[in-house]
This record gives sequence, C-alpha cells and structure tokens, in this order.
Amino acid sequence: MNKPFFSQQIAFELNTQPARADATPGQRLSELLRENLGARDVKIGCDAGDCGACTVLLDGQPVCACLTAAHQVEGRSVETLAGLYRAEEKAKRLADSFQNHGAAQCGICTPGMMVSAIALLRNNDAPTEDEVKDALGGVLCRCTGYRKIIDAVVGAPAIAHDGDGSVGTSIRRLDGQCKVDGTEAFGDDVAPVGCLEIFVIRSPFARASFTFENLASFADATGVEAVLTADDIAGRNIFGVIPQFMDQPVFAEAETRFRGEAVAAVVATSEFMSTFDPRSFPVTWTEMPATQNIHDAQKDGAVQLHHGRDGNVMCGGFVTCGDAQAGLSAASKTVEGHFKSGFVEHGYIEPEAGFAQIVNGRVEVHACTQAPVMDLDSLQIILGLDRSQIRIVPTAVGGGFGSKLDISVQPYLALAALKTGKPVRICYSRTESMQSSTKRHPSDIRLKIGADAEGRITGFDFYGEFDTGAYASWGPTVANRVPVHASGPYAISNYRAESKGIHTHNPPAGAFRGFGVPQSAIAQESLFDDLARKLGIDPLEFRIINALEDGVPTVCGQVFDQGVGITACLKALRPAWQSETAAAKAFNETSTTIKRGVGIAAGWYGCGNTSLPNPSTIKSGVRPDGRVVLYQGAMDIGQGANTVITQIFATALGVPADSISRIGADTDVTPDAGKTSASRQTYVSGNAARLSGEALRRLILERMNVARDAELTFGDGEIVATDAEGEHRFDLSKLACDDERLVLRAEETYDPPTRPLDENGQGAPYAQFGYAAHLVVVDVDTAMGTVKPTKFVAAHDVGRAINPMMVEGQVHGGIAQGLGMALMEEYVPGRTENLHDYLIPTIGDIPPIETIIIEEPDAHGPYGAKGLGEHVLIPTAPAILNAINAATGVRITRVPATPSLVRTEIRKAQR
Amino acid sequence: MNPLTYEKATSSTDALERHDGDAAKFLGAGTNLVDLMREGIATPTRLIDVTGLAQSIEEQSDGGLRIGAGVSNTAVAEDATVRAQYPALSRAILAGASAQIRNMATVGGNILQRTRCSYFYDVAGSRCNKRSPGEGCDAIGGFNRAHGILGVSDSCIATHPSDMAVALSLYDAVINVESDEGTRSIPINDFYVLPEDTPDIENQLNPGELIVSVDLPAPSANRRATYRKVRDRASYAFALVSVAGSLIIKDGLVVDAGISLGGVAPKPWRAIEAEAAIVGSPPTEETFRNAAQIALADATTQPGNVFKTELAQRVIVAVLQDLAGDAQ
Repeated sequence: MNKPFFSQQIAFELNTQPARADATPGQRLSELLRENLGARDVKIGCDAGDCGACTVLLDGQPVCACLTAAHQVEGRSVETLAGLYRAEEKAKRLADSFQNHGAAQCGICTPGMMVSAIALLRNNDAPTEDEVKDALGGVLCRCTGYRKIIDAVVGAPAIAHDGDGSVGTSIRRLDGQCKVDGTEAFGDDVAPVGCLEIFVIRSPFARASFTFENLASFADATGVEAVLTADDIAGRNIFGVIPQFMDQPVFAEAETRFRGEAVAAVVATSEFMSTFDPRSFPVTWTEMPATQNIHDAQKDGAVQLHHGRDGNVMCGGFVTCGDAQAGLSAASKTVEGHFKSGFVEHGYIEPEAGFAQIVNGRVEVHACTQAPVMDLDSLQIILGLDRSQIRIVPTAVGGGFGSKLDISVQPYLALAALKTGKPVRICYSRTESMQSSTKRHPSDIRLKIGADAEGRITGFDFYGEFDTGAYASWGPTVANRVPVHASGPYAISNYRAESKGIHTHNPPAGAFRGFGVPQSAIAQESLFDDLARKLGIDPLEFRIINALEDGVPTVCGQVFDQGVGITACLKALRPAWQSETAAAKAFNETSTTIKRGVGIAAGWYGCGNTSLPNPSTIKSGVRPDGRVVLYQGAMDIGQGANTVITQIFATALGVPADSISRIGADTDVTPDAGKTSASRQTYVSGNAARLSGEALRRLILERMNVARDAELTFGDGEIVATDAEGEHRFDLSKLACDDERLVLRAEETYDPPTRPLDENGQGAPYAQFGYAAHLVVVDVDTAMGTVKPTKFVAAHDVGRAINPMMVEGQVHGGIAQGLGMALMEEYVPGRTENLHDYLIPTIGDIPPIETIIIEEPDAHGPYGAKGLGEHVLIPTAPAILNAINAATGVRITRVPATPSLVRTEIRKAQR
Repeated sequence: MNPLTYEKATSSTDALERHDGDAAKFLGAGTNLVDLMREGIATPTRLIDVTGLAQSIEEQSDGGLRIGAGVSNTAVAEDATVRAQYPALSRAILAGASAQIRNMATVGGNILQRTRCSYFYDVAGSRCNKRSPGEGCDAIGGFNRAHGILGVSDSCIATHPSDMAVALSLYDAVINVESDEGTRSIPINDFYVLPEDTPDIENQLNPGELIVSVDLPAPSANRRATYRKVRDRASYAFALVSVAGSLIIKDGLVVDAGISLGGVAPKPWRAIEAEAAIVGSPPTEETFRNAAQIALADATTQPGNVFKTELAQRVIVAVLQDLAGDAQ
C-alpha cells in the first residue's frame, strides 16, 4: 500500500544561491535537485551509488546525490556542474580541456566526471594520473575508455585545434559545448514539469503465467490515471526489428518468456509514484519451469518458445567455400577448441527514458534512441495509427552500443499519452533497464583450423550456437554475420561456418557492438595463436602470411580490388610486438609470481547491412539569410556522427564545418538516415552528406555560373563566389522560399552496393570492410589469477580518418568494452541486474592506449573513409586471452577470464 | 499505516529519546539504507538522522584511538594517526569504495551495512531467509560465486560486504553503543552473530541501541599490518576475498600474528587458530601455508564459490609473506 509521508521544507545553498524545497523523508537529493529545483545537469545512471553520474559537491566534497537523503543537506552547500561552470574559472578551463581531448562522447557521465575533477583541481593544480584515478574512480564511463578524461584533467596538450574542420582534421565535437556545461538534455531531461509518470509491471520470473485481478477497481481505488495492458493496444501487440522475425509483445499475454518482461503499466502522478509499492499491483504470478540454456532448449520435449521455430532454433547462417574437411585432412598441423561466452550488458550510463505528448491530435515521442525511423515503424504497427500521426523526436543519447536500436520505452509512452491525453514520462530504473534490454549473445563455439608447414591455412570448420533469448531482436543478424566474419580478415580457401540462434527463457539477445563477431573472433584468433605456436611460426608473422589482400577472395567469394588494409595494420604492430615480447621475456626471467605476456589479435567488420538495402538520405539547403542548413538525421549516440557527417558535408560544399547550422534528428524534419548501427554512419550517411554537399555546391555554381573551383562564402543574405575572374554575388533575398524556409536545397541518398548471398553464403555482403589489429601487454598474478593489462597498441584501418581525435575516441572506448568482455563482464539473468554486481571497467582498469591510424582508402567511402564503431572491440578480447596464454601457458576458452577462472586453469595446468 | 517521518537528532541522547521502537531507524549517510528503502527491504516509518553526531577522532590516554560513529570513511582513511598506526584500516577503507561513497559513508553505518547478496535484494523473485525468515534460500544451489564459505549455514550463505570492518576486526576494535539503559562496549569480533537458523539477526545490537564510537586499542610496537583485496576489476568492486593481516617478528620468530578475512563469511572472519599456529614459528612460506590451511579447514563451499578456499589461502600467504618481507 502507499505510505503517506510528511514533506518538510529544507533550506540550503545551491550553486552559491539560497534554495528552498519541500523534501519528503528518505527522498534522494538527486531527485530533489532534478525535479523540485530543475537542476537536470545532475544525471542519474543507477540510483545506487555505483556509477557516480549524479556526483555533486556537498560542502565542497564529491558525493553521490542519489544516496544522499535530501534532508541531510539542510544548511549546507550543494554545487552542480552547471553552477560550477557558470561561476568557476577552473571549471571553464576543464570544460575546454574536455572538449579539446574528446573526453566527452555521449556526455551522460560528464557532469559526474567534471564535478569530481573540479573538487580535485581545487586542491591540486597538477594532479598525477593516480590522483585523477582515485578522484574519478567512482564515476563510470562506457564510451571513452577513460584515457581522454585523464588527459583532460591532468591538462595534457590539446588534441583538437581550431580550423575549418575539413576532412582529416581534429576539431572539437560540434555538439560538445552542452555536454561540458551541464545543459545537454537526455531522455529523462526533457519532460515538462507535472507530467504523469509510467511504471511498468514486469515478470519476476524467467517464465510465469499470470492473472490480473480487477484492474478497473485497482484504478478506482488508487486513483491512478490509467492501467495499460495488452488490451489497450489498438494495433498489433508485437514488435521486432526484422520484419520476418517480429515476435515480441509490448505486454505479454498469459505467459512471460523472460524475467523482466512487461505485462502491464501504471500511469499516475509523480506524487502517487513516489510511494507506489509495485507489490500492491493486482497481479498473481505462477512461476513455471524455464529453459535457461541452449542445450536444454534443444532437447526433445523442451518447451517451445515460438510456433514455427522447431527445436527452439530461431534461424541460422551458413557460409562455405572450397572443402573444409579436405583442407583439414591435408593440413600439416591442426588445432581445435571449444569456446564459450556469456551475456554481456551494454551498460550505457543513461537508462532508457523519454516523454510523450499529444500535439494537434498526433502523438510525439521524445526519447533516447539509435533508430528514430524504426521506432516510428514499430509504433505505427503497435498503435494502429497512420504514419503521419506519429512523430519521433530523439533526445541526446547517453550511450547505446546497439541496445537502443530496439524500442523500449516508446510504446508505453505513446500508449499512455494516447490513453490519458496528457504528457507522460518514464525513466527505467537501472535494474529494469538491465532486465528488459537486449544483451550480447552468449556463444558456444567449436572450431577446427589446419595449416600447412609454411603456415598457410588449409582448412577451417566453425560451428557456433548463440543464445538469442526469448525473442529474435537482432538475433538473425548475428546468425548471418558470424559465418561471414568468422574467418577473420584472412584468405581461407577451404572454409565452412555454420551458426544457429537458439531461443531460451533469457532476456532477448540483440545488437551489441560487433553483432556476434567479437565472440567468433575469440575462437578464431585464439586458435590462430595456438596454431602458429604449434607450427613454430611467430604469431604475428603467421597472421601476415594469411592476411587477406587486394584481389584475393574472402570466404564469401567477394573480391576487393582495393582497400584491404589488414596487412598494414598487422605490420604496424611489428615494432611494438618485437620490443614488448623481448621486454616480457626479460621480465619473466626474474619474476616468479607475476608473469608478463604480450598478445595480439586482428579483426574485420563489414560496414552496413548484410546484403540488404541500407540507404541514408541527407538533406541540405540555404536560408534566405545565407545560412547553410544540414538536416542530419543520423543519430549521434556519442560516437560523433553530428561532427563527422558535418565535416564531410562542409568539405564537399567547401565551407568551414562550424558555419553549418545542423538540424535533427526529428522524423518530422529530417529524412531517414537509417539506424546508428553496424558502423554505417560515417560510411553510408557520410556518403549521403557528401553527395548532398556536392549537389548543393553544384547547384550554386550553376546558378551563379562560376568556375568549379570557386570559393564560396555564405552570409548576410548572399553567397559570394570567388574564382579566377573575381568575386561574384548571389542575392538570396530575391529567391522564393520553400515551405522549409530554404531558397536552395539538395537531398541525396546513398545505398551501399552489395549482392545477396547464395545458399553457400557466396556473394558480396558488404561494400567495404574495416580492419583492425590490437596488441596488449598483461601482467598475470599467477597466485591470485588476476590479470592486469598494462598497455595497448591498436592499429586501425579507417580508410580516411575524418576526425582523427574521434577515431582515437572510438578505439579507446572499444578497447575498454573489449577488456570488460574479456576480464569481468557477464550478465547473469536475475542476478547481476545492477552496476555493482555487473562490473564494467573503471578508470583504474584501462591502461595507456597507443592508437595507430592506417589510411588505406576505400573507393566507396566518403573521401575514402571506412566505418569504425564495431571494429574497435573485436580484436581486444582475443588479444588479452592470447597475452594470458603467453604469460602463463594457459589457454582460456571462456570469457570473462575472472581471477577465479584464470586461477583454476593455472592450477589445472600445474597438475 | 504510519507515515514516514524524518527528524534530525541533536545528540546521541536526543537520538535515543526519539527512537520509539522497531519502526524507527537511525539514518547515517544513507548509502545503504536509502537503497534498502527503495528496494522495499527496509521499511522504517521514522528516520532519525544521526549524521553530524560523534564526529571526532580522539587519541585515548591508553594510547588507543576513539573514532566517532559519525566520522566519514574519508576522514578515517586520511587521519594521520590511522595511517601511521593502523595502516590496514586506512587501506581497507580506500579499497572499499569510491571517493564519493567514502566522503558520505560513516563508520557506524559501514559496520551495519547489510549483505549485497542478490537474492536478498530480489524481493519479488527470490526466497531469502534473511529478508523473510523461514522462506528459504535461493542462493544455495543458485548463483553463488560471491557467497560465503566460512560461518555459513543451511539457511544463509550471504557475506558481510564491509572492507573497513575486516580491518577493525584485525585490530580488535571495540564498538561502543548507547541506549536508554546506558552504554556498553562490544568487541567487534563478538559483535556480529552467525546466521545459523536466524540469518535475519546479524549482530548484537538491540533495537534502540546506537553505535556511538569505535575504539582501537593502542598500537603494538613493531606490528606490521596491511590489507589486500582480490576482486574482479581494478577498483570499487566487492571483494572475492580480502585479508587484513599483521605480524610482529622478533629474533627471527613470529611473536604475534593477526588474520582477518573478508568476502568469505557473514562477518569479518578472524582466523584465531591460524594465528596461533604462526606464533612461535619462523616467518616462512611454510609457516604461512600451514596457517592458511588451518584458516580454511572448515570451509563449506558451493559449486559457484569453491575457488574461494584456495584463493583465500593464497591471499593469506601473500599478505603474510609481504609483511615478513617488509620486516626483514
């Protein structure tokens, strides 16, 4: 039952100004600051003191506002980022430094990071790296890999520099200022005051049947505005990201298929919600036997999760060329292994959140997302409304990494707004976010590889099963991608790879940076090391021998006559490989307990959809006043699309990047630039931006009748073109404005050229691949089983680095996630549903990273650029496992390689 | 139903007068209680804020140190006397939580924090004898990698999460409590009670009793002490195993040894027999290995945490060897 409470007014100082607010007993300071006092620069990531995003200064000391009872600040001083930025020179300098290092990517952790850093810098002008790590150790970041943040706080020389932002230059994020001054608005920051709130009722069991008691009388008795169930869905109670595999209900009916699955939602005032006890909701659960691993799911008699998916097999993928078995038989040496990995949680610091309202009879959803147009597609089906009646306005996204491709809060928001007619908001709790969002697929992989005496791969046979959980989500994409990528970036002529996605009563596994490729790379790159050592060939040289090259077919029979950069990546690691392996050998001669190892691994990733249309459209134009406008609908989830796509467009048009007015994303305003996934935005939307910029330029040159190399300047109601003949002026005021207030416009679409895969997986799945190779040095404490990476060298072929600072940012962030996957991260449904039981790397876990940018231009990429977002974590985990192997002789075949696992394997080996 | 109220106590006497039964809770920094209330595990109707009380660290006439229950963890860890004379305490606190949490958390609250067992927290979906006595324990036979191997029972295998308390246990700290009936002092090594068949009862504190301070006995001459924590990531994760250890070595023999274990038991686990086995022996690896065997002789493991026995033994040996090495 709801518990009444007495609120009491408290008085304190907020950012040096007197503040008063009514606080309820036990109310969190974070909530009071955000909701009662509008201080939405205080971000909430976990509400449990684990992430530090809500860090504020209390009498000058950093504390977690989420664990501070609001009453306890009576008479004290509270400072937040926005206040510090306004008032304190140190904060402004730090904000500049964050921008100059790319230390804020998505920006959701930035207030916590900066507030903690300012407290440090007040007492210490020149902190050491260790002091920074201690001061910032309680703030989690999932994007940056922390190194840029350390650089920014210690005041390392700036990376970004002033300039026109043309392709190839490191400028600051064009959308960065609001991330460092506290004004960035994420999913939970945009709702107007007084919104109704939504609470979703979820299954506490992996599988359960349930019945509702009288919901109408519950609503009457409690005074809630509305209760939503499957009965309230006017369209179809189903969603999914792949049309043939749509299978997930908004609200489960009769039976739930995973813990955390929604069955109903309560819509009520914030006053009601502040004391609402979910246990009072009239639902009766009956726990049912659940199948929570892929082996049980495939047994005879196992509960079938979906009709038409016999044996709980969702689907599979298959690629073969040559004769894998014959190749293995002919091998001089073979190796084989069985590799496993668990669920991995995306762990973005911003939980899913948003608000919705009805405007002129249309429903508007403002929420964090990676795919606004796909959200619209889903809502159209669920709501049963005409497309024109729905508007998706994405907020800033506090990290996504694949999971925010699927809808989450959107249907609840839209349904509640439509049912009540009032503005509504929702923000998932951390536990709710972790329970209900998609995960990286657990994998169970068997692989056998053979090579001849010279070290050339002769045969490769891969079979992988993936736990896709209760619903398909992006599982079919994982199943398709894995066989295409499981070879790694190598030339293998006798190849067979088969994958299967299996349903279980686990959370849906979906898209997560790499779509299954990081899992297959662990198996392949680990066995490459084993095979090289068995053959007596240096592991790096073994990879170079087998590396894919221009003109050599991939395992799908696709031949790239240009742009294959893996050899260059591997060769770039040679100096570090030689010096670090020598140093490790010397170290190990005298060290008994701590053993040092150096590991390498490579990876590749095809950019964009696999053999499917994947267009992006970018629109641009000129306003009567001479401003250039870019309608940029590609979601920037921290990776930098807003900056990189603008740089490409500006270069094509021939103007400085910071002169462009950027609009979007908004489904009413921006054309569809596709989803932010599969490392496609720089390549695909970047190309659309290039085409749009080129088309606009062409249009202007034609209208002005000036030379092709004319220099254009925009402003004051005119365009000035300067060519060999002198200055030409184009008066824009005489041109007719269209309904978007443009006098000139250009809209262009780019779709990567691909070809379908045949029944053997032969075809042209991607127009381009990106390539990567990582080296890592680790120290293994053989007594405790702890593994400490001490250095990374990462070589990435990005074709052309549009913004080298942001390339480094991606590399660092990917390595941090790869390190987490390798050493500490495993989501156990029902058990690790928060950020202290589910561990992601902290600032103390990430060693220095040297990034080597390789630019092997791609003919299809804008200015030669290739995608990068996924490549950055694919080699990391196998490189770490190879380093552990080099240090200890132990081959770890399961991630995460926790101290308990590593120690167990070392003990086994010693017997 | 009673409304939830908040009130700030002006003194320990005032706090005790305000405490009127089970439904009242003393509120420290709230780093654990605010969370437990959100989860519906703690359901007080009256919050009596005791932060701001008992804020001093005072040297005692007997050479010991009295730390007020309201002192922040940061203040304890940074105190010059603590760092010099009780280094394992400072290290344990620094290893225990992030700066943000240390700045908030109080000594009294840290001692009383409750287990992080995920089944304990899972009100809707799991059975837990600590939360709902008699209901059963889903951790036994469940996902129990983080759970205890010493002092556990058939009804509960949860661990005590504190790092600080492990160091207090090593130093034989004494907890001073006040109530309407006066004051009493309880050695920390007697303070916590084992779960047996009443895991909901975690310590000797009676309702209405308030921890006011913690006494550290005078430091022993030539005692070396340290704290080591093994966890899954570099910082701010709960311990898989931690060890607070100390040695006094004289003329090539150990004359005093201390071993307290964290992450393995429902309380900071003092390995008294293991300590006794070291005293009188030379500070060799063999001595320490033998002690580590004794310390874990009664371990009761689950499939998920079987690794903890060997890991705990290894951390004990490593800590003692470090101390012995430092002493030479």
